[in-house]
Amino acid sequence: MNTPTNMQTGSLEYIRRLAQGELSIKARIGYVSLLLVAAAMTAVVLSLWLTEPVLPARTQAAFGVMSLIGGAWVSFALWALTARRPLFARDAVIAGTLAVVFTSVFVAGALGAVIVSGAAAAFGALGTGVVMLGIAVWNLVSASRRHAALAARRRELESALRTG
Amino acid sequence: MSTNSEPIEALADELLAIRCQLGERAAFDVLIARWHEPVWRYLRRLANNDDVAGDLSQDTWIRVLRGIGALREPGKLRPWLFGIARRVAMDRLRFEYVRRGADDVEIDELPADDATQDLEVDLAAIDTALAVLPVSEREMLTLFYLRELSLAEIAALLAMPVGTVKSRLYRARLELRRALETRGAFT
Repeated sequence: MNTPTNMQTGSLEYIRRLAQGELSIKARIGYVSLLLVAAAMTAVVLSLWLTEPVLPARTQAAFGVMSLIGGAWVSFALWALTARRPLFARDAVIAGTLAVVFTSVFVAGALGAVIVSGAAAAFGALGTGVVMLGIAVWNLVSASRRHAALAARRRELESALRTG
Repeated sequence: MSTNSEPIEALADELLAIRCQLGERAAFDVLIARWHEPVWRYLRRLANNDDVAGDLSQDTWIRVLRGIGALREPGKLRPWLFGIARRVAMDRLRFEYVRRGADDVEIDELPADDATQDLEVDLAAIDTALAVLPVSEREMLTLFYLRELSLAEIAALLAMPVGTVKSRLYRARLELRRALETRGAFT
């Protein structure tokens, strides 16, 4: 009973290659970026849709479809980040930082739109952006705490193993 | 199977799992290098087929890589790993997995390994004899002789008391001995 060799399915080399794909940081950050962009776009579309007092039926339908598409992308990115490419502790800190930066820029833009236009849609986007920023900050704090706890446990274990 | 090295091994396992949870790519290389072969051997015994074992191994590692970040007790890396391999195998070999619980009895002491201990037996013959045993017996013998899991960990993995594990192991050894005798493998 010999283990499979070379690139046979299940061989050591095959599993190593498989892991390279599974652990790709690019794929993880890609899903995080998709989540942020889709959430921001959906927030803008929803703000426009819900704050315009009179809209033709066709425009309302178009906003509805765009919101559904945006929501679908948000759901897909969330599913991918939980089931297919879950974030490890370091990745979660990087993703959390990205999210805080991105949502801060979004909030700044919405605030600018409120100051310049005073439009109801801008207020809607600002409100949604503030909620998104709050969630991003909370995620970053949680990720940083988890990373710190794991790093501390790692140091303890390394010390225990060194001293035997 | 209790040794003085167990606490050190448990700490090393926990450290490796935590490094993986932190996202260190080098730790995953170590994890795969350390556990690829024992997991493959376990799956190969269950599947009785190299190609199926390869597929099962692939599925197992995908689940491991996707799931290790959420492992709540990193110190239990070994039983967690074999637990995933077992679930993957059970999903594929469900029709073969007939639980034999009716005649289980719990015993305190594991009887001597009378099937193979005092006799020189051709390893290839053991391989062939194992292949004809029911999957539950093959699994029990493989888990025990891999020597990667303690009896308590095997019991946790199979969701049964340690006494039942000992009883099943004893029965599996007897069946292996009968299979070997049938093939005239003892010298």
